[in-house]
Amino acid sequence: MSWKALRIVWRVTALNFRAQMEYRTEFLLMIAIGAIWQVSVIVFATVLLSRFAGMGGWDSSDVLLIPATRMLAHGLFVLFLGRMHWAGRQIQEGRIDIYLMRPMPVHRQVQLAFFPTNAIGDLTVAAGLMVGALSRSDLDWTTGRVTYLVAAVLGGMLLEAALFTVVASASLRFPAADMWGRWLEELLGTFGSYPLNVLPRAVGGFLTYGLPLAFVAYFPAAVLTGHGHSTGVPYWVAAASPLLGLLAYLAARMLWRWSLRHYSGING
Amino acid sequence: MAVLHAWRAARVTPLGELNAPPRMTAVALRLAVQVVLVWSLWRGLYAQTGTTAGLSRDQAVTYAVLAVLASRLRELDQYAGRDTVLQHMHFGTIVYWYLRPLPPQRYYALRAAGEQLYGLAWALTGYVICLAAGVVEPPASAAAAGVFVVSMLLGQWVLYYVMLVLDQLCFWTVRNTAAMLILMFAQNLLSGVYAPLWFFPDWFVTMSAFLPFQATLSVPLSLYVGRIPLSDAGFQLSVQAAWVVVLALFTRLLWRRAARRVISQGG
Amino acid sequence: MGQLSVAIEVRGLSRTFHTTVRRPGFTGAVRSLVNPERVAKHAVSDITFDVAAGELLALLGPNGAGKSTTIKILTGILTPTSGEARVAGVVPYRERERNARNVGAVFGQRTQLWWDLPVRESFAILRDIYEVPKAEHAARLKEFDDILELSSFWDTRVRHLSLGQRVRSDLAAALLHDPPVVFLDEPTIGMDVVVKEQVREFLRHQVEQRGRTVLLTTHDMTEVERLAERVVLVNHGRLMLDGSLDEIRRKFGSTWQVRATLADPHAEVVPPPGTALLRHAGAQVVFGPAGPAALTVQQALKAVIERFEVTDIALDEADLEDVMRAAYAHAGEI
Repeated sequence: MSWKALRIVWRVTALNFRAQMEYRTEFLLMIAIGAIWQVSVIVFATVLLSRFAGMGGWDSSDVLLIPATRMLAHGLFVLFLGRMHWAGRQIQEGRIDIYLMRPMPVHRQVQLAFFPTNAIGDLTVAAGLMVGALSRSDLDWTTGRVTYLVAAVLGGMLLEAALFTVVASASLRFPAADMWGRWLEELLGTFGSYPLNVLPRAVGGFLTYGLPLAFVAYFPAAVLTGHGHSTGVPYWVAAASPLLGLLAYLAARMLWRWSLRHYSGING
Repeated sequence: MAVLHAWRAARVTPLGELNAPPRMTAVALRLAVQVVLVWSLWRGLYAQTGTTAGLSRDQAVTYAVLAVLASRLRELDQYAGRDTVLQHMHFGTIVYWYLRPLPPQRYYALRAAGEQLYGLAWALTGYVICLAAGVVEPPASAAAAGVFVVSMLLGQWVLYYVMLVLDQLCFWTVRNTAAMLILMFAQNLLSGVYAPLWFFPDWFVTMSAFLPFQATLSVPLSLYVGRIPLSDAGFQLSVQAAWVVVLALFTRLLWRRAARRVISQGG
Repeated sequence: MGQLSVAIEVRGLSRTFHTTVRRPGFTGAVRSLVNPERVAKHAVSDITFDVAAGELLALLGPNGAGKSTTIKILTGILTPTSGEARVAGVVPYRERERNARNVGAVFGQRTQLWWDLPVRESFAILRDIYEVPKAEHAARLKEFDDILELSSFWDTRVRHLSLGQRVRSDLAAALLHDPPVVFLDEPTIGMDVVVKEQVREFLRHQVEQRGRTVLLTTHDMTEVERLAERVVLVNHGRLMLDGSLDEIRRKFGSTWQVRATLADPHAEVVPPPGTALLRHAGAQVVFGPAGPAALTVQQALKAVIERFEVTDIALDEADLEDVMRAAYAHAGEI
């Protein structure tokens, strides 16, 4: 992206943010509800984990690292790339046709559709959870570990973005595919926060190779906390999670571009 | 004639689904995967633990699987039919609701009833299969089963009103998709879809006792698995019934105000 | 239906909206959040007109003139701020449901059909909502199908229809319960010529054969010329003119020109009364209308031929589009 493009992105984002404030009730409601949401998420994440201490052979302080990583990655995803989740809606409403006529990449226009006010709440909660997880952790946080954690969060963000980009690409051809996006979010939210070795092998395998949500937070956290050899996959596969996120994202973007070229409009 | 239009409006959802076989396949697949995942997750979580929060492993698994099935009752791809309040407000087609000799609130109720009955068919099928496969336990006694059915009915009634309030909000804030998502999450969390409320700290349980959400799912399912004893059922059912009354009055007020808003803004 | 000679009665109708103004800039946005500033907009002010039973009236005016607001009041969706309206004897905003049985409406491209269902299912739902007997419904559907050719696509789900198909279906849906009064807010917007012609034929049939009263808004002047006997022109919420197309033409359409080539290029040219000489170069002369008693183009043609010896004569008459442009511009000045 050139400087000029970056400036446009910044300006549109600023306008979008202002647009969010234009809707008074909505904006105030979002702030009010954001508070409830934050409390709920923290309760949900911590309570379950403490209730089942030692799940999957992990200390609860180690387990906490999984939802913290996953939620931080998710918050960043919502902030930077989250509009991909709404691509299906934009496709169904025929917005893509308008985007295709403008001299800006369609993907960027999809991202610039609106400002994700809720990302502020998501990120606040996630950051809080991460601070909590790190302060409880007995691990020695060397530069290497911290770097790996940062890479893991970014990789998790990219992997989530990749999954939603695949759904969006499918939506270009089959608008109904949008529905799978909602399921995807639900699955990521529900199963992304546990050590997946508590699941039967087949189910764990599905969440690794079928729907690769194990790579978002579970594998990186396992590598960081020394459970990297008992994840059911070779150590190096688990360790390469951040890289895999990057590769998956690049591949998904290529798929998106391919799908756009073959886009034939909706409803004739 | 009134029966006829009721039947027509109620069958919009099932008919729309039947007209889209891929969507039905998706629902079946999704339900199956979700049940398997939830079942294995809770068994996994209980691997190191005995009874916790008053729930044994089998109770927790049954609760969780039933929660998945029950959430099917009202969890369709509602946007696909372009008949949500949000979409009608967005496309300006809400005017037609106020243009017909059928009051919008009755149309909405009929549509929702049809949707819930259609969802019930799915949930029941899933339940029978799960029961046969031993994934869920049968109810402890015939009395428990009876109380559960009544409680579930009341719960769905409360759920209808909760969803209605969410939809009614759209009359005031058209751009509230994000807020809707968060409220949906709150509904799922506080009704015990994600995890039984019994696992949460006391203050959380106390708080949700004052909210309508737990009446939708947590109460009936807890009655089913026996976490709420039968002796306590009368009280719980009356709380549910009280919520039905309160929300009925509240949503009536909102309908009236919504109509006034449409009438003053023109949709 | 039918006994009332006046189908739609509008008396001093006014409607004011209050909207929040957005202040520019970031601080403006924050200020609007805390302390929104409200302004009043008069969408419709003091409009009065009647539509006779069995008449097709075109409600014309530029965008934002108040046409849709008027229709919404007459369909019972909006309440007026002041004034009175009656549709088939019912005050629409007071007895919305009773009014609903008397009226049908299509709002441009907004469809009332069920997106996920075949068109025929939508018709069936409406049939039951409006309590139309089955035989009657079938007969009416057959009648509509004859002109609108619905049967070729009525088993298709609405989401897969083309725009033309959808609007035709919507038109049928609005008339299935046999409403004596029909409101059409830009029904043919964005449709191709063939479909437009089909819709016009359908409307003509409904007015002439079925005696329905139609209130139509459109920006398509061909449509107005083909369909409307009478037009009401509104702008800025006010009624500018209520009359026949000819009256409008006479008032705003006096932009004709008569070009003639005179047999004698040196003749002295005195324009006939009610005309003016616009150009005179050698044998070529151009006359236009002038004065309060301006001639119509036909009268001018006759007068020029009578007064001068011409070898060639031609005329340019402003079409309705030009007339309306002049009318809107004129209305805007008031």
